[in-house]
Amino acid sequence: MKFEGRTALVTGGSRGIGRGIVQALAAQGAKVAFVYQSNSQAAEALVAELTQAGHTVVAHQVDVRNKEAVDAVVKTVTEAWGKLDVLVNNAGVIRDALLATMTPEQWRDVIDTNLTSVYNFCQAVTRPMMSARYGRIINMSSVAGEFGNKGQANYAASKGGINGFTRCLATELASRGITVNAVAPGFIETDMTEAVRNVAEAEIKKNIPAKRLGKPEDIANAVLFLASQESSYITGQVLSVDGGLTLGGF
Amino acid sequence: MSNDEIFEKVRKTLIDALSVDDDEVTPEATLIGDLGAESIDFLDISFRLEKEFAIKIPRGELFPDNMSLADKSLVKDGLVTPEGITELRTRLPHANVDKFAADPKMEHISELFTVQMIVNFMAHKLNG
Repeated sequence: MKFEGRTALVTGGSRGIGRGIVQALAAQGAKVAFVYQSNSQAAEALVAELTQAGHTVVAHQVDVRNKEAVDAVVKTVTEAWGKLDVLVNNAGVIRDALLATMTPEQWRDVIDTNLTSVYNFCQAVTRPMMSARYGRIINMSSVAGEFGNKGQANYAASKGGINGFTRCLATELASRGITVNAVAPGFIETDMTEAVRNVAEAEIKKNIPAKRLGKPEDIANAVLFLASQESSYITGQVLSVDGGLTLGGF
Repeated sequence: MSNDEIFEKVRKTLIDALSVDDDEVTPEATLIGDLGAESIDFLDISFRLEKEFAIKIPRGELFPDNMSLADKSLVKDGLVTPEGITELRTRLPHANVDKFAADPKMEHISELFTVQMIVNFMAHKLNG
């Protein structure tokens, strides 16, 4: 197993893409801690499922917007397992609204949950990863970080921010054996995209060269690669995993 | 702890942090010019010193965050002014500011960061 002896922390791990990442890392032998915001039932079910399969998985309920809470959970995990090899910043929300009607709460909720959380976690893991001279940080971006979607100014700002953040942090940490990359999913079958899929799935598929929506496993596979030791010479990149959606072909 | 003991621990820390040879780490060696330290290394060195000496080093105390002396009265025509020198003595009480003041070119300001400066800082921290 590729991740035997490795430890990983995944944010937003109880559902959707994060859940797929937790499952994939655990299946490859990593000890995985994941954090979730509110859905204890989903989190407990995932821990139970993976523990029964013989994997080491723990869940922590954490508000990723809260720096002290993030510092505390990173400390707990690194002390328990002695190190942290992989961080996947996956927690994210959408609060779509046309800008003209977007409330300050809708703006702040998305920026704080999607972007400030990345700052919080990356800063918290810097020290243990620098000491170990090894680390893999993967930030969950989105095709929305580069392309315009009506009603997603807040979400696009958070994801575009993640792309820039990823490139900067990559230059800061490269000499320490720590890589920092982003994965930019297209349309993936999760709760987050359910509303838009319900009204426009056929139309969306028409625009995807692969002619299908992505699954959480498709994203998890890209994350596994960037989280592996073998990807050590790749840093500061934003990898689109979108079935060709953003290629602009006809 | 004697200064020799402190120096040996500092030397070990710098060898680990900067991947330099032990004979390169002399008291006079400058961290940036001689030992090739970059900005992230200063953070790494602080972390490692904390571990090696089992003390806390508040951020900015050993290596100040901002050394650009952006205020106009502190630098003029590329030279650090007398006011600027006073400011440096405050911010870097353990550096050899006298040596720098003899030829206070801003472009040489990084030479204030020497191995001896760290040793002096640690001695002050440990022995008061």
